[in-house]
Amino acid sequence: MPDSEEIQGLQNRDGGWPYQGRGASWTEPTCYALLALAASGLGQSSSARAAAQWLAHRQRADGGLAPRESVTESTWLTALGLLLPPEAAEGLDRNRAAAWVLAQTGRESGWVYKLRMFLSGVRTDVSLSFDGWPWYPGAAAWTTPTALSLLALEKLERQNTDAELSKRIAQGRSFLLARRCRDGGWNHGSTKSLGYDSDSYPETTGVGLLALHGWTGPEIAPAVARAEEHLAACESYQAASWLRLGLLAHGRQPQAPPSTRRGQTMEIALGTLADAAQQGRNLFLD
Amino acid sequence: MQEYRHSRAQPTRRQFMAAAGATLALSGCSQPPAKWAPVSIYRAAEYSENLYDLIRRLIAEHKLDVRGKRVVLKPNMVEFDERTVINTNPKLVHAALEGFRAAGAADVRIAEGPGHRRLTLDLADAAGYFSTIPGFESAFTDLNLDELTLVQMVRPQSKLRSLYLPNTILNCDLLVSLPKLKVHHWAGATLSMKNLFGLVPGGVYGWPKNVLHWAGINETIADLHTLFPRAFSIVDGIVGMEGNGPIQGTPHPTGVVVAGADPVAVDATCCRIMGLDPQRIGYLQLAAGRERLTEDLVPQIGEPLHSVATRFAVLPELERLRLSDGESKS
Repeated sequence: MPDSEEIQGLQNRDGGWPYQGRGASWTEPTCYALLALAASGLGQSSSARAAAQWLAHRQRADGGLAPRESVTESTWLTALGLLLPPEAAEGLDRNRAAAWVLAQTGRESGWVYKLRMFLSGVRTDVSLSFDGWPWYPGAAAWTTPTALSLLALEKLERQNTDAELSKRIAQGRSFLLARRCRDGGWNHGSTKSLGYDSDSYPETTGVGLLALHGWTGPEIAPAVARAEEHLAACESYQAASWLRLGLLAHGRQPQAPPSTRRGQTMEIALGTLADAAQQGRNLFLD
Repeated sequence: MQEYRHSRAQPTRRQFMAAAGATLALSGCSQPPAKWAPVSIYRAAEYSENLYDLIRRLIAEHKLDVRGKRVVLKPNMVEFDERTVINTNPKLVHAALEGFRAAGAADVRIAEGPGHRRLTLDLADAAGYFSTIPGFESAFTDLNLDELTLVQMVRPQSKLRSLYLPNTILNCDLLVSLPKLKVHHWAGATLSMKNLFGLVPGGVYGWPKNVLHWAGINETIADLHTLFPRAFSIVDGIVGMEGNGPIQGTPHPTGVVVAGADPVAVDATCCRIMGLDPQRIGYLQLAAGRERLTEDLVPQIGEPLHSVATRFAVLPELERLRLSDGESKS
């Protein structure tokens, strides 16, 4: 069965997608399913239109997107909405969503935290200087929400140049560069814990590399090398898809992903997106 | 938003005795110190078939009547690194699954919401859960992505006023916390109470669940304990982790399984086994409140604590949590 049919088969009747099985619809798998449908040329299908409608209802009064219907808080997922091609997200107020994303920063880079650390005599690491994005408002910034917010803002910048956008993009890039692990890749965003180095993960290394597409600094070669190592040993289809997306964004032609798949929405959608990128159409960067 | 406390919670022996003690004090009698619920300590040198008998023994010993009940087993799964022992060993989890099924539970699920790695099933696969536990995937719930209810915190000690929590946990009759015996570079030790961080859904709060850290690590551990004070605990201390726990530490074979109906008493006992003073662990202090956590107030079943106690290495920053020499012996 083609992946696009498999994705459509997992769609809930309310128009959204579950993470797994026949669960309730969540915003994240719905966004990735919509991206995958767009990559398959089905961005205008009835399935995609129903999903766009479901997604528009997740937009809250503050402009952000909630993770699911029963949650009354906007979170990092708002960036995913902005990654969708406009025709695949009709009904989403992109300006308000962009304003919400721009208003978010990691709590650790705010002046209150810095002042508190200064008064406590604690020297803060340079990696805490850059404004990244948190998973949840009021928390610290981490790799994945920063990488995806960066990609979303870059899409906006391609449509309309804006000093504030450019500044946050530069900050986000600096955040990611500062949060690389000693082995060259990325983990969830903690390179050291109490001074001890932490190792990178496959999926976050892929996401980090994808978000730094076009960056040619000396940080990229070790990151690419680490991603290739991760991919060679990777048994996770989803993690392998992120690694492929990241490596393709830096001109590599990665090997095929592991054959075992669990049939979950995110896994199939990300596989579709990596396949499309391998064929020259990267929905994160178009 | 609903105000929630674990619906089947009954007063613990400790709470009952504390209430009785308070009555005595009011009537002018001298008040004996309240005792905690008993804690079982059993030797288990390896992850062998003997664990199945041990679990059945613990269920009987603590009179856990799970007939017709919904039981959720909550192991500790964080990351996988073949060089060390981060996660609850799947053999112990399988023994618990079989044990509670044999005790007549209507449904026994394994549930976890890892805090760092998003791909939970892939993590479980790497950690040996699929190969050890037949039908693992159908018995497992990813708590990061479960159905949710917004829960009002009851007299919170942290800055949290409400928290989304997974319905699989809120609707169960018995929550069984199955942590690994580990030191923790921030909290001092990660045991049955800290293990409840895995209940908080990453699908809402992210990976890591950093909101909990900003609200105060010790305080949120204590708050989660307040929501689930009757979680039964079975600690995998067969091989624990010392040093830079909970992830980058080194294996420390300890050869014990520790269990009990009061997570505070179980965790205090585990601290003593590792050579840490439970009265210096912030979240245990918060959870114990005015009640003392001295060893004489925690009744023990099975092996004497001093016979299994073994000094875990800790980071220099945590040396202040050590039991003094005189306290490490019973």
